[in-house]
Amino acid sequence: MVSTSNRVDYSPIIDRPKLEWPNGARVALWIAPNVEHYEYLPVQDGPRNPWPRTPYPDVQQYTYRDYGNRVGFWRMLEVLDKHKIRCCVSLNMAVLEHFPEIAKAMVDRDWDFMSHGIYNTRYLYSYTEEQEREFYRDNIETLRRHTGKQLKGMLGPAISGTPATPDLMAEAGLIYHTDWMHDDQPVPINVKSGKLISVPYSIELNDSPLFRLNYEGDYFADIVKAQFDQLYKEGAESSRVMCIALHPFLIGQPHRIKYLDEMLTYIMSHDGVWQTTADEIAEYYIENYYDEAVAHAQKFKS
Amino acid sequence: MTAQRRPGMDHEHHDWSPISTRGVLRWPNNARVALCVIVTLEHMEWEPPEGSFSTDVVGGLGIRPFPDYARYSHRDYGHRVGIFRVLDTLERHGIKPTVAMDAQTAEEYPFLVKHCMERGCEIIGHGISASQMISSNMPVEEEADYIKKAVDALKKATGSAPQGWLGPEYGESAHTPQLLAQAGIKYLCDWANDEQPYPMHSPSGEMFALPSMLELDDVHALWTRRVTVQRYGLLLKEGFDAMYRDGEQNGRVLVINIHPWLMGQPFRIGFLDDALGHMVRNQGVWAASGSEIIDWYRQNRPTD
Repeated sequence: MVSTSNRVDYSPIIDRPKLEWPNGARVALWIAPNVEHYEYLPVQDGPRNPWPRTPYPDVQQYTYRDYGNRVGFWRMLEVLDKHKIRCCVSLNMAVLEHFPEIAKAMVDRDWDFMSHGIYNTRYLYSYTEEQEREFYRDNIETLRRHTGKQLKGMLGPAISGTPATPDLMAEAGLIYHTDWMHDDQPVPINVKSGKLISVPYSIELNDSPLFRLNYEGDYFADIVKAQFDQLYKEGAESSRVMCIALHPFLIGQPHRIKYLDEMLTYIMSHDGVWQTTADEIAEYYIENYYDEAVAHAQKFKS
Repeated sequence: MTAQRRPGMDHEHHDWSPISTRGVLRWPNNARVALCVIVTLEHMEWEPPEGSFSTDVVGGLGIRPFPDYARYSHRDYGHRVGIFRVLDTLERHGIKPTVAMDAQTAEEYPFLVKHCMERGCEIIGHGISASQMISSNMPVEEEADYIKKAVDALKKATGSAPQGWLGPEYGESAHTPQLLAQAGIKYLCDWANDEQPYPMHSPSGEMFALPSMLELDDVHALWTRRVTVQRYGLLLKEGFDAMYRDGEQNGRVLVINIHPWLMGQPFRIGFLDDALGHMVRNQGVWAASGSEIIDWYRQNRPTD
C-alpha cells in the first residue's frame, strides 16, 4: 500500500550517532551559487517547457537570467570575497565553455564544483539510462578539462532527475546528490553500487523560490539568520549542515546585494562554523559516519 | 443538488446557528479559550496510486514532473527532523498535541507512533496518505473502505481507536461525516466555520465538529498565501488576543493545524514558540487535546 522511494532508510534526527565536524564545529556552512546558462532556443524534449511564457525565444526571461552572468555574478563575488567564502558552485557545465572569465574566477578562488547539468534548459526527466550515463561522462569530462577537478556531486539540472538517477550517479563515481531536502545532516542514499549520500541543500534558504514570490532581500537575510541560530544551538549536541543557495541574477541585483553581506557578516562572526563545500562535507561524512549511519538505520525498519 | 431557498443550511450535516444567539459556553476553570494544536503527520507518496485524487500541491518547487525528488523529500523532512522541534515546542508550553496521523505514517514509521504515544499525544485519523484525499470522486463504498483502512491502521499501531478525524487537505465527500460516525469517529476537524464546537447530525452515533481556523493553518498562511513567518507569528498572537477578549463573554476554541515539514524548519520554529508562549501566558487558556475539548463540550454545552 505504501509508496516510498526506497532510496532512504528512516532515521529520526533525535536518535542517531552523534555527528561531529572537524575542530568541533557545530554547523557546516556551504554556500551554493547556481551559476547557470539557459538556452536562447532550447528544445523541449520532455514534460517540462523551459520557457512556458512565450514561443521561443523568451527574451525577457532569457536576459533576466543572463544578467546574472554579465553583471550579477561579479557583484555577488565581491561580497563573497569580502567574507573569504569558498563556494561549492552548482554549475551548468556549459558555462565553462561559454564564459571563460567566469570559469577563471571560480578556478582562481579554488571553489568546488557540483554539477547542475549542462544547461538549465535540459532536464533529465525523459533520459534513457544510456543517455543519462553519457550525461555523467560529459559532466565529468567537461569539468576535468576546464578545472582539473574530479566531479563528486550533483544538483540535478533545474532539480530534475529520473528514478535511476542515484544509481547512475554512484556508478559514475559521484558521491553526493543534493536534490533531497529531507534533513539537516547528510543521509545515506541506497544505490545499487558504490556509496552515495545526500548533502542538505535548500529550497527554503534559496533566493530563487523566495524572490519569484512575495519576498525580498530583507526577509532572506532574516530567515537565514534565524535558521543559523537554531542550527547553531542544536549543533552543540550533534553537528548540522546549513546551505545558502544563491542565483547571481537574483542576489546580484543592486537592490538585494547588501542582504547577502548582512547574512554572511552575521554568520561568520560566530566561532564553531565550518565554512566548507558540499565536496568536503560528503568526503568527511563518508569517511567517518557512513557505515555507522547505515547500520544504525536498521533499527527503525518496520 | 442545488440549494433550496429557505432559512437554514443548504445541507443536513448541522443546524444553522449564529454565534451571537447562542447560550454561554464555559470551559474548565472558566477559561476563555480552549487551545488545541493539531500536528499533521502525513506521508506524501513517491508515486500516488493511479486514480487517486489530491489537491495537495505544496512543498518542494510546486508540482514538477515525476520523479519529484525536491517535493517528496521536502515533505519527508517533517518525519525525520521537523516533528521533534514541533513536539518539543508544544511540550515547553504544556500543550498536549493532537497528532493527525495518516495510515502510511502509522504503518511505516513505528518509531514516530511510539514517540508520539510516549509523549502523551492524542492521535486522530488523517486518511491514508497526503497524496490520497477523500472527495466525491470516490464511490461511497470505496470511501467507507478508505476510512476503515485509516482507522484500522491507527488501531493496530496505537492499540486504540481514534476519536477524532482530520481529512488530508480537509477533503470530504457529502457522505464523509456519516461514514466517519459509522466508523466510530466522535469529532471532525475538517469544518472551518466556527469558533466553538458544534453538534453534527448523525443517525449513527454522536458526532461533533471541532472547527479549525483555516487562516491560521501554517500551510494556508505560509505556503498558499505566502505571508512572512514574522507576520504569521503575529497572526497567531493577534488572532488569539481577539478570541481571548471575545471568550470572556462566551468561550472560544482555537484549533491551529501545524505541519512539521513546514513549521518545523529551523528558521520557522522560533515563531511558533513565541506565539504559543504568548497564548499560554494568559490565565484563561485551557490547552487541551481534541477529545478533551469535545468531551467537555458534550457534557457542558449550553442547552439553549
